[in-house]
This record gives sequence, structure tokens and C-alpha cells, in this order.
Amino acid sequence: MTIQKIQLYQRPSSCLAIFRLLAPIERQLIMNLLWLESAIPTSTMAAWVIREGRKMYEDALGTLGRLHILPTATGKLALNSTFKSAFRQAITGGGTSGSFGVPAPPDDKRTPTDLDTLDAFALERWETILHYMVSSGSGQAPTKPSQGVLFLLQRSGLMANHGSILQITSAGFQFLLHSPHDQLWDLLLQYLRLAEERQMDLVEVLGFIFMLSTMELGREYSTENLSGTQKAMLEDLRDYGLIWQRRPTSRRFNPTRLATTLTSSSPPLPTSTGTSSGPQEGFIILETNYRVYAYTDNALQTAVLNLFVSLKYRFPNLVVGSITRESVKKALMNGISADQIISYLITHAHPQMRKNNPLLPVTVQDQIRLWELERNRLKSQEGYLYTAFASQADYDFVLTYAKELDVVLWENAPKRCFFGSVDGHANIKGFIERRTLGTSS
Amino acid sequence: MISGKRSAEVGSTIPAKRPRPTEDSLELENEDDVIPPSPPDTSYVPRSATINFSALTRKLAENKRADDDVPMLNPTSFDIHRRQQDKLISHIFMDQDFSWLHLKPDHQSRPLWISPEDGHIILEAFSPIAEQAQDFLTAISEPVSRPAMIHEYKLTSYSLYAAVSVGLQTDDIIEVLNRLSKVPVPDTIVAFIRGCTLSYGKVKLVLKHNKYFVESSHPETLQLLLKDRLIREARIITTQTDNSIKAATFTTSKAPTRGNLVIPGTEKKKDDDGKTGPQNGAPSDADLFSSVVGVDADEIEEDDDNVHAFQIKDDKIDEVKKRCNELEYPMLEEYDFRNDTVNANLDIDLKPATVIRPYQETSLSKMFGNGRARSGIIVLPCGAGKTLVGITAACTIKKSCLVLCTSSVSVMQWKQQFMQWSNVTDRQIAVFTADQKEKFAGESGIVVSTYSMVANTHNRSHESKKMMEFLTSREWGFILLDEVHVVPAAMFRRVVTTIKAHSKLGLTATLVREDDKIADLNYMIGPKLYEANWMDLAAKGHIANVQCAEVWCPMTPEFYHEYLKEQSRKRMLLYCMNPNKFQSCQFLIKYHEDRGDKIIVFSDNVFALEAYARRLGKLYIHGGVGQVERMLVLSKFQHDPRVNTIFLSKVGDTSIDLPEATCLIQISSHFGSRRQEAQRLGRILRAKRRNDEGFNAFFYSLVSKDTQEMFYSTKRQQFLIDQGYAFKVITHLDGLENLPDLVYRTQDEQIELLQSVLIANDHDADLGTDIRAVEGDLAGTVTSKDFGPMKFPAAQRTTGSLSALSGGQHMSYVEQNKSANRGIARAGPSAQSSRHKLFSKREKEKATARKEARSGGM
Repeated sequence: MTIQKIQLYQRPSSCLAIFRLLAPIERQLIMNLLWLESAIPTSTMAAWVIREGRKMYEDALGTLGRLHILPTATGKLALNSTFKSAFRQAITGGGTSGSFGVPAPPDDKRTPTDLDTLDAFALERWETILHYMVSSGSGQAPTKPSQGVLFLLQRSGLMANHGSILQITSAGFQFLLHSPHDQLWDLLLQYLRLAEERQMDLVEVLGFIFMLSTMELGREYSTENLSGTQKAMLEDLRDYGLIWQRRPTSRRFNPTRLATTLTSSSPPLPTSTGTSSGPQEGFIILETNYRVYAYTDNALQTAVLNLFVSLKYRFPNLVVGSITRESVKKALMNGISADQIISYLITHAHPQMRKNNPLLPVTVQDQIRLWELERNRLKSQEGYLYTAFASQADYDFVLTYAKELDVVLWENAPKRCFFGSVDGHANIKGFIERRTLGTSS
Repeated sequence: MISGKRSAEVGSTIPAKRPRPTEDSLELENEDDVIPPSPPDTSYVPRSATINFSALTRKLAENKRADDDVPMLNPTSFDIHRRQQDKLISHIFMDQDFSWLHLKPDHQSRPLWISPEDGHIILEAFSPIAEQAQDFLTAISEPVSRPAMIHEYKLTSYSLYAAVSVGLQTDDIIEVLNRLSKVPVPDTIVAFIRGCTLSYGKVKLVLKHNKYFVESSHPETLQLLLKDRLIREARIITTQTDNSIKAATFTTSKAPTRGNLVIPGTEKKKDDDGKTGPQNGAPSDADLFSSVVGVDADEIEEDDDNVHAFQIKDDKIDEVKKRCNELEYPMLEEYDFRNDTVNANLDIDLKPATVIRPYQETSLSKMFGNGRARSGIIVLPCGAGKTLVGITAACTIKKSCLVLCTSSVSVMQWKQQFMQWSNVTDRQIAVFTADQKEKFAGESGIVVSTYSMVANTHNRSHESKKMMEFLTSREWGFILLDEVHVVPAAMFRRVVTTIKAHSKLGLTATLVREDDKIADLNYMIGPKLYEANWMDLAAKGHIANVQCAEVWCPMTPEFYHEYLKEQSRKRMLLYCMNPNKFQSCQFLIKYHEDRGDKIIVFSDNVFALEAYARRLGKLYIHGGVGQVERMLVLSKFQHDPRVNTIFLSKVGDTSIDLPEATCLIQISSHFGSRRQEAQRLGRILRAKRRNDEGFNAFFYSLVSKDTQEMFYSTKRQQFLIDQGYAFKVITHLDGLENLPDLVYRTQDEQIELLQSVLIANDHDADLGTDIRAVEGDLAGTVTSKDFGPMKFPAAQRTTGSLSALSGGQHMSYVEQNKSANRGIARAGPSAQSSRHKLFSKREKEKATARKEARSGGM
């Protein structure tokens, strides 16, 4: 693993991508150390940290240590040399490794692909996947994503085979409520796991993903410099909508917005795709009378809402429904938790709702939670049932003993039986044995 | 074309045409009693009965869109993908998918959507012009829900009828709707509005100089009516020679304007504000509104139009009215009271100190919009001053006035309110109930009575008969109908036909909408003129802010066991008497008493009421409590700082006015009655302290978990939730366990309670058993407080084992809970006995000192 990481750190693009994914304090540490030629004592660095920040600082050091960016074993702090040189290169430019991708020479025969096409493509692919998930089992026949995607969905446990048809699992439902950014990374992590099983070179795979994330949107890149593994990945990534190619055999490719925003905080899906607000902006209004008004014309968002809202009207830019006991029950049965529903509603709350404090009507939140509680009312506890006592005296005697131990969960005197918890079993068993021995002897 | 569509769309709802089942005279007025209540959402037409126009339009629109797409040579794969996805979710909405409607380019500055299918209107209440839009929408449609951000309204034939009757014109309605709407007003809706407004409000029945005229601003309409034989025969022809029917033969006169009519109690400066309609009462906003939605004052027909009229015979009025309804030209009734010289004026006015609130003024301005009195219904929340609206209307018309209410107690309250707010003298106001049969002195006056006194046709005493003759023999300028929602249709019809009144005003707090009675009210009284927004009134401090909560009390295992076994109505008793509920009730009472609240606890079930009150040592009132005791309890609650809680049965639902109360706990209620819930909430809406900063009234509903009660509770809350109230669910009361002297803490006590419930008679489980109607009260109204004599309980035969009867199985005959009422009854007259020892001692000492001084002086 260590070697793989070091290999990965040889690519400036990977270093930059990883750096972007780190927490601010971790980034701060790296920047402090990047241009130091020699290691500094740990104590020097620690002197900068105020008491309240100690915990955070320790955690950051731990993370960087695990990533082998900042080995801490020696008592001195110095960046991993491979990482240091590659990251310096990434920041200052230069080098010929082509780790940020090699732009394809301009093609005079064709007009370059415009951003709209790319966005449309990315969105279509991505929504196809999600839509396939959300409408599976509803009797509808949505467009199927490619075999590779289906396989990935199945392997990652987001969907499962029920007979011949693929159906969404509870993990899949939960997945749908995540933000697009999280969803994307979820899938890519699954992809990595799959790649590992397929004996693909992980360094190549990760390196390529990181490379994509540092590429420029709207620019064409050449496939020439890609390794065999990476070329093989092109097809998969095309299916996810991360890259666009004119033809499958084309020697050039365009990263889409999905790819280029992997390590940035900007939205991975193009905003304002229709008349309504895009996915990033809040669009849901939830009223105290359990009515839900969603400003959306997006079929996917509507389908996701349909998971836990009973929808009623649909206007060009508005969907109206209400949260009912039945609709929430349905969602709970699908494995979606109340908290997930609430957090979805909160993340997508309409700007008008932001004026409220708390954001969502408390009554509705409570009610959703209560509906969830309604489902979990039986508590199970393991234990042993003691029956068939020879006499009432026996029963009473053992019961009294068990009560002293405070392990009786349930008793029924007429039937001469009681139920004791697991902890007490050894004692009670011993007690009964001793007693029977005592009486028989 | 239009009329064809119309009959398809609304034919089934034209009030006059619908065969009215005769049984509804028998039916209880309480529509909520029917369990379960009718489905909450019915479209105005049964879907199967209509040709689905919108489906047709949609198809056409889709075709058109498909055509549009043809020139777009190369639909990208993305477009195809989008369309495909759209189709996939479309099925969720069935025929409520209106995504085919075209948004207007500037839709963002317009606040509403209109559903082509069922006339639902969705309004963004946060839009800058929402307030004006709301005014407009309340005028033309029924409010469905009005929470904080998005409101829903619904166009119905009745609401449109109401809109027309306050003077809005078809084209203006459509025009304004179109301006406010994000999508073009769908053709189906345009057709519906036209269909409904085409004939409504075009014809008026006006009583001028004591002659009846049929009046219209459209001469062709009058000609159309005169083609009918019955109406022609009823006409009194003034131009003798000319029998041919021409517009020229109609009497033509200047249309009425509001002129210098001032509603008493309002500011005089409104004088010059001659405008009527939606802008009224908000002159400063009017300009803004008209600039936004393009309504000018001249949209109201009367402003510069001439009206045409012909006279009809007095005795034919009913027939003509009926005939007009059949012809789908229902007549609006307007009363030109200022020009009525035949009926004597009643010299009453509001007292100078009486000021009416803005919303009351708005509601009245709808009634007197054109200087005449329109008939109709005004809907205001409980506690928002309905009575004052009625009194102000009476003081505006200044003619003889008949007030009808539901019970004899309300009668006395109305009289008292009249005396309080207006300068009416005792001689001018009379009461007609089972006990009192008075007539007013002089030519004109006010009579207050109940519906059943007036509608009753049999078993009359001589006095009543004479009184009825008095009522029917004269012409009334104004008839005021209180709580119109509870009156059965048949009774109403009798009242309306026997009493000759020029104008009618109905008052209510909760027009529960989905039943047919609304149709009857529309026909017999008139359209709804005004409906207030609860949340608005609360925000402006006219009614109290209320925190609503539903407290979930788990059933104890023993009670639940019995509950599951029990099939009869006793189940209800079991969930009312749930020990956990008892404890929650005790805890809440303690908590709120410590906060300084005055608490009313409501229980419909008398058995539970008594059990709770006795156990918790509180005063109570139910039907079996005598008049004297009742007054004593009420005055204790109002004035004694030590009595902060009373228990009330159904008798307290309405009319008992306790402005001291700030907290309300409900332990048993009438199934799923939304109206009762609203009425009970009304008990604390008029809380005296409502204007204190940060003041909140509290409304708790205790429900036993996992019982039918939960189901009913949800139903009951629907009306209030739609008004924007939020019910918080409380599953656990913090600190309940630590309450000292918590009742029924041990299982033994609980089982004892259970036993007492099990041996209770079946009829103990009935609701509202304490109330019996007397002559003068509406059967089944919960407003009645005149209780008939309590029936002696019939002898009961019970079986039981000897051990059970002799005190085994936790049964006991010892009365441990004494009624707290007895305590005060005894303490009442001989209050001295309870004086503190210190004082009595001091008094004794004084007395002896005096004695000594006297003896010393001797």
C-alpha cells in the first residue's frame, strides 16, 4: 500500500488533487512545510498550536501520517520527498510528465465541443443511472444504463437481483438522498474496489481519476499518453458521464463537469438546466400542514421526492405533495431513515424557508421521527426460559434466587415458568444443579 | 359552446337543480358526527361524470408541442432523455400532471398557479403582491389552507357566485387571475368561471318603496326572464298600452352607489372612498393593487351603469324566486334600506365608545358595498367578535331586526351584547324563548329568539302562537342568523319562508365545506361575503396566539388488554380513563397553575369528567350540575385566585365566556369533529391577556396511544392545521415521574381504576349525555346549556360473583373522592367558617375587649 501511495505521489496531478481533498488545517501544515528543505522538530511546529486547537492538530498529523505525506515517526517533521517534489511541480508548473493530461492538438475539421453538449451529456448519463435506480420496481421501464454500470450498482449493494430484475436496496434509497458530489464519490470508491478485484493497477486508476479532476472543462485531451489500464477505464467513465468522446474509438476525450469538479467545491452538475432552479439551490418548501411544494421541473428530483412524499399536482415548475403517514411509512420500509428524510429536506430547503428558525416546522420533523419510532416498538432481549419445575416450592425457590440477582425479565406463576436474561444463566443453572444435587443426595 | 361546457362541468352542482333528499330534515346537523367523515378532498364534479376537458386540452397541447418540435430538426439525445424521464414520473400524478402548461416568461413576478383540473389555486404568500392577491382570492374562491408560505384556494361555483354578488364581473375575474397567474388561465377554468358567473348575480330582487322589483343592469336578461310565463304573470305592468317586451319599458334608474353610507363605528374619513370590491378597506393599497393587477374602480358594475327593473306582485315573490333559480338566474337579494319609507326606522346606533376592528369593517363593507344591504354569510374565528359585526350591521340598517341563535342561553347573551355595544333601550329589544315571550314596544325593535322557537310548527302554546303571529305578520328589515353551520336545512327553510325579511346575515366560525349544507346556505341566505384568516388575526393581536400540542399517553398494559377485548363503546371509556392520561392531566394542570394560567379541562364523557375532577380535587360543571352551583363554580373560577382549574363537559364548548382562561386541556372529545376542535380552541382565543408581550395560550389534546383516539385526533386537527396552526406532539412530559402525589402511581391503584371502569354502565361511555334539549334549543346542538331534568337512572341488574360484590377483586364501595364542588357549596354561604384561626382569634379578642370596655364603662 505504501509503495502504491508513493507511486501515486510521483504524479503532480494526484498530489494536487489529494491536497484539495484535505481539510484546511492539513493543507495549512503542508504549505508550511512544502518549501522547507530540512526537517523541523515536532516541538517547533507544536508551539504554534493553541491549547484549543491541540486536538485538531493531532488529528491532522494523524491523517497526514496515514497518507504517508508527513511521516511522524522520527520526531521531526518533513514532507515525504516524493510528494514534496511532485507537489512543488504541480504548483510551480513545469515538468513533462503529462500528469495533468495532454491536450489534443486542435482539430480543424470539427468544431470543438461546447460546454452545453458536455453538460447535457454528463447530466443525461448521470440521471439515467439514478433514474434507473429510483424507478426500478415501480413497473416502469426506464432507460437502462450500460452493463458495466449495472454491474457496479449490483456489486456495491445499491441494487440487488430479485429474480430476474434488478431492484433498488435500502442502501440504494439512502444513496439517492445524498448530494450529487457524495453520490459520485460513493460510486467511484465502489469502482476502485471493483478495479482491485479485477487486478487493475490501483495507482493507474486513482491517478487517472485525480488527473481528470485537475483537467480543464471544455478542453480536449488526447488518449495517446494514457496507460493500458487507463484506456480501459475510458469506457466505464464514459458510462458514468465523467468523460465525453465523439466515438468510442476516438483518440481524444473531454472531461465533463462531473469529472473536473471531483476535488473542488463547485457543483458537479450544471445548474439551471431548465426553467427552474438547479439542484444546488434549495427548492423545497415544507409547510406546517405537511404540504410539500418543490420548485422543480426535474424528473429525477421529482422521483426522489416521490420516495417519501405523496405527490399530487405537477405544474411546469412546481410539484405539490404532502408528507403523510403512508408516504413516510413507505420510505421507512424502503430502508430510508427519518433523519435522512429530514436532512434531505433541510439541504434542499427553499431560500424562503431559510428565514425560519428552526428551518423545518418542528411539528413535521417530530412527526416524521415519531412515525419511525412507531416501527421500532418491540425490544428483543436474549435469555433463557426456565420451565417444568417439579413443584411450586422449587419454582418459588429458584425464582427468588433469580430475583435477587435481578435477572428476571418475565414470570408466569400459574405456568411455573420465568424468563431470565443471558447474564444470569450461568448462576441460575448452577443454582438449580446444586439444588437438584442437594435434594437427590 | 360555453354553456355546453358549463353544463358538463358544473351541471351537477347547480343548487336549484339538485334533487334534495327529504331525509335531511331528520339528519343531525353535526356532519362531523358521521364516522368516518366524508373524504376531505372532493373535486366540485365527480370525475366520472364529466367529460375530461383538460385531458383533451392536454392532448391537444401535447400534439402542438410535438408539432413545435418538428422544425427543431435534430432533437438532441438530451432532449429525448428528458422527455423520457418526464414520462416516467408522469404516472405518479395521474391526471394532475400539468407540466404541459406553458409558463409565462415573467412568471417569477407572478404569485400563483391554477390547476386546470379542479380549480385549485396555489399562491406564494411570500410574493410582494401576495396580500392583494389574497384579498382577491378570498373574494372569488374558498380558502383551503393558509399556513405561512404557500396558500391554497379553490374555485367553486359558490365562491364565484359570492364573487359576483359582491360586484365583481366575469371578465375582471378572469383578467385579474390571468395577471396573477404564472401560467395562462386554463381554458377549462375560463369556461368554468364564465359558466358560473354568466347568470349569477345578474338579477336582483330589490324592495324599493315597499314594492318588489326585479332589477338587472342587463335588459336582455330581464327580457329572457319575462319570456317565462310564470314571471310574466307576476309582473305588474306600469306602461299600460305596450305589451311587447322591450328594454324601453323597463324602469330605468341610476345604479346605486355606496354614497354617503357610513358603517357606524368606522372612521368618517372613509366617506369619500366610494370604491367597493377588493380594494375596500385598504385604500392605500388600492393604487398599488390596481397598478399591479389592473383593476380599477370601474370594474364594479354599479359605478356608472344604469339599471333596469320591472315590478312584480308581492304575493308572487316566492314563486318568482324559485322560478329564477330553476332558470339558473338566482336572484340576489339586496335591501335598499335607506329608501324604505314604509318600515319604521329603528333608532339605534353603536355607542360612541364602540370601535370596530379593521377586519370587522372589511367584512361589513362587503355587505354594504353599494349602499344597500346584501344578504350573505360572514365567517370569523371564535373570539374575533362575530357578535359585534352582527350588531353593527343591525345599527347600519336601522330597521326592525330579528336575531336567531341556537340556544336560549345564547339568546340572553345576544341581548346583553346588544345592550352593551349599542344604545338600544330595554323597551326596544325583546326576547322570545320557551320561558320568555316578549314583544317590543313601538313600531320597530329587535327580537332575539332561537331557530327552533321560530321553526317549530306544532305543539304551540297560546302565547307562542300569538308571538309567532307577531313575527310573521310584520316585515323585518334584517334577520341575523347566528352559528349558521349547525342549523339543519329543513329548519332553515321554514325560518326563511315564514319570516319576511329584506336582508339576511349569517355568522359562523367554521364553515366546514365538503357537505351539501353549504349549498343550502348559499341558496337560502346568500353567498359567503367574507372569511377571515386566523393566522393574520393572531399576528395582529385580535385573537390570542395559541401553542397547540397533542400529548401521547401510552395505555397501561392492563387497560390496553381490556381495550382490545372490549368491543362496545366502552372502549372509549377505557382510553379516556387511561391512568397515564390521568397523570399527564394532573401534571399539566400543576405545571400551568404554577405558571399562573387559568385552565379549562374539557371532557365530553361525563363519567370521565367526574372521575378526573374528583380525583384531582377540582371544580366541575356538567349537565347534572344545578344552576346555582354552576354560577358559583363559574364565579369562583373567574374571581377566586385559588381556583385555577375547572372541568367542563360539552356544555362549555360554546357560549360560556371565560376570558380568564389561558390554557385548555382536552381529555375526551367528540370523535373526529373538526368543528368542535375549532370551537374549543375558540375558548382561549379571546384570552384577556392576549396582548401581553410574548403571551401564548396553550391547547393540549391528550390522546391514548394506539387507540382509535389517535385516528380521531388527526381528523379533528385538520381544520386548524389548514388554518396554519401546528400541533406539536409530546410523547413524554419531563418531570412527570417526580411529581409529588402523582395519582395512580402503583399498579394496584391502576387496577382498581380499571375495575371501576369495567363496572361502569355502557351508557356512561356515551358522549354528551348530560345535555338534554328543551323547547327552544336545537336538537343535538352542543351549544345548549339549558338542561332538562336529569332522568333517574333506571334500575340495573348486574351479575357478579359474591366475592367480587363483597369487595374482592379490588372493588370497593367507599367513596374516597369527594366532589370538590360540594366543598365550595358548603363554603359558599358560610364563608366565615373558613377564616384563618389568627383572624378569628383576633376577632374574639376584640369582642371580649369591647365587652370589657363596655362593662368597665358601666
